[in-house]
Amino acid sequence: MLRDERLTQFALLFVALAMVATYMFPVYWMYVTALKTGTEITAWPPSFWPANPDFAAVEVWQRMRMGTYLKNSAIIAVGVTAIVVVLGTGCGYALARVRSRWMDVALFSILMMQVLPSSLMITPIFVSFSQIGLLDYPRTSVILAQAAKVLPFYVVLTRATFAQVPRELEESALVEGNSRIGAFFSINVPLARNGILVAALLIFLQSLGEYVYSRSLIQSRALQPATVGLQSFMGPNTSDWQGVMTYAAIYVTPIILFFVFLQRQIVSGLTSGALK
Amino acid sequence: MTVPLSTTDSIPTVGTIRASGPSFRDGRGLDRVLVWLTLGFLVAFSALPLVYNVVMSFQSVDLFTIASFDRPFVGLDNYKTVLSQRATGTIVRNTAVFVGLSVALQLTIGFGLALYFQQRFPGSTWLRGLFLAGWIMPGLVVGGVWSWILAGDFGVMNWALQATGITSDKIFWLSDPSIALYSVIIANVWVGVPFNMILLSVGLAAIPDDVYEAAEMDGAGRIWRFLTITLPLMRAQLGAVISLGIIFTLQQFDLFAALTQGGPSNGSNVMQYWSWELSFQHYRIGQGSAVSVLMILVVICVAAIYVRSTRHEHAA
Repeated sequence: MLRDERLTQFALLFVALAMVATYMFPVYWMYVTALKTGTEITAWPPSFWPANPDFAAVEVWQRMRMGTYLKNSAIIAVGVTAIVVVLGTGCGYALARVRSRWMDVALFSILMMQVLPSSLMITPIFVSFSQIGLLDYPRTSVILAQAAKVLPFYVVLTRATFAQVPRELEESALVEGNSRIGAFFSINVPLARNGILVAALLIFLQSLGEYVYSRSLIQSRALQPATVGLQSFMGPNTSDWQGVMTYAAIYVTPIILFFVFLQRQIVSGLTSGALK
Repeated sequence: MTVPLSTTDSIPTVGTIRASGPSFRDGRGLDRVLVWLTLGFLVAFSALPLVYNVVMSFQSVDLFTIASFDRPFVGLDNYKTVLSQRATGTIVRNTAVFVGLSVALQLTIGFGLALYFQQRFPGSTWLRGLFLAGWIMPGLVVGGVWSWILAGDFGVMNWALQATGITSDKIFWLSDPSIALYSVIIANVWVGVPFNMILLSVGLAAIPDDVYEAAEMDGAGRIWRFLTITLPLMRAQLGAVISLGIIFTLQQFDLFAALTQGGPSNGSNVMQYWSWELSFQHYRIGQGSAVSVLMILVVICVAAIYVRSTRHEHAA
């Protein structure tokens, strides 16, 4: 009886591993291709393990000017995250605490602005930004546009977190003579810290991969982020797959590592925000 | 990377903080300021562009008039031009196929995986979480990797299909107009499955075990239990996942940019890519705005139905 159960567990685990492996194959394929030499890449049948691993990271980094691109991605992601955290944290808190018709309207509008697709908002953003002269600061333009795109998501996530902070703690702080602002910073923010960090991290990762605004608002190559850089190397007649996959691997490895380490927090933060 | 939309309001209302008046420091004034900071930013960078988009869709906007505020109004001309083009039929059909197939596949695969990982075995939660790695990668990178997998000559997909005897010829996934759209769908399903799975897992976990146990005692088989317990109890969750799936699929842009650029000859073009193409590659900005307005209307309708339905449920 007990042996049967263990056998079932093993079978379940085995099938699960097979499914994960199938799903993750594209990620594996990216890394393997990055390690293959040019001739091995065009070998038929394809090889699933590089015969002569060719580590081209340094060469690709220099040739494709990844330093500049990744720096721009980081600047944009940091800028977006800063704006979103500063503006959105208090809003998430207020929406979690106060219930009124007013707040419902505010929440509804925020939810509606979350669904607007970037690729459809970019036309008016481009024209209006060019009219008020913002396009002279292209990275700032992208930061502002992307912050508006992801701010609602952050508010929704932090709102779920603040809702879990017991009201009594804040109320007793108020009784003890703390101001609302004081209570917010000394009680609510520390207790909601994990949720805020996860939400901010998700915003950061998402903005690291931002594409359509950067592609449309930034003309100068020196200011473009890594997504646009990758796209420019990936024309219809690409043959440099080792280069492209090495670029992709360098770009996403930190993102994947971040994710694997913080997986549990990210999943729980995500589901609480999406379902509560 | 897709974004969840908040749904229900399950926050207990234990009594609102009593405000002594709308003062900034201690009263309701603080909450208003906090909400207005965010709303103000969103109005400036989301709501106003949205309105401006509608205005531009009635104007003649091209490379020459882009910088001026004084542009001729042309009524419904942009809409007429856009809708009368020969490509429009293809693109509308593509959009419907893209959304329909993507959502259906993401949902079935996601639901299947959620059910599978609901069983208890060592590492089940951790392994399930690994799937989200695909969801968190930048869309451009996902598109790049898939365009290499689906490459006609040396792509590993064609090798797998030939090796297993499913096809004898190489399929030109990205350059065959009748297939290109399906390449983007494959990649999009890959991106969307994890999110569906995680959301549905949460719903499955909320179904109490004893309901199943009772049904099992009554002699209900696995399939019967799925049909009479799981599906009805998951109705709300399924509705949420489907509407979110539609919204995210309508937002998908990066995969088109990385895989097919809408081509060949609009074979894989969809409305959201077309709108950008009209504005930024052909500089027919008025027409790009018109397409964009039409699409945003669709997105907002889906979202409104979704948000309303989840609220309703909660009030009941």
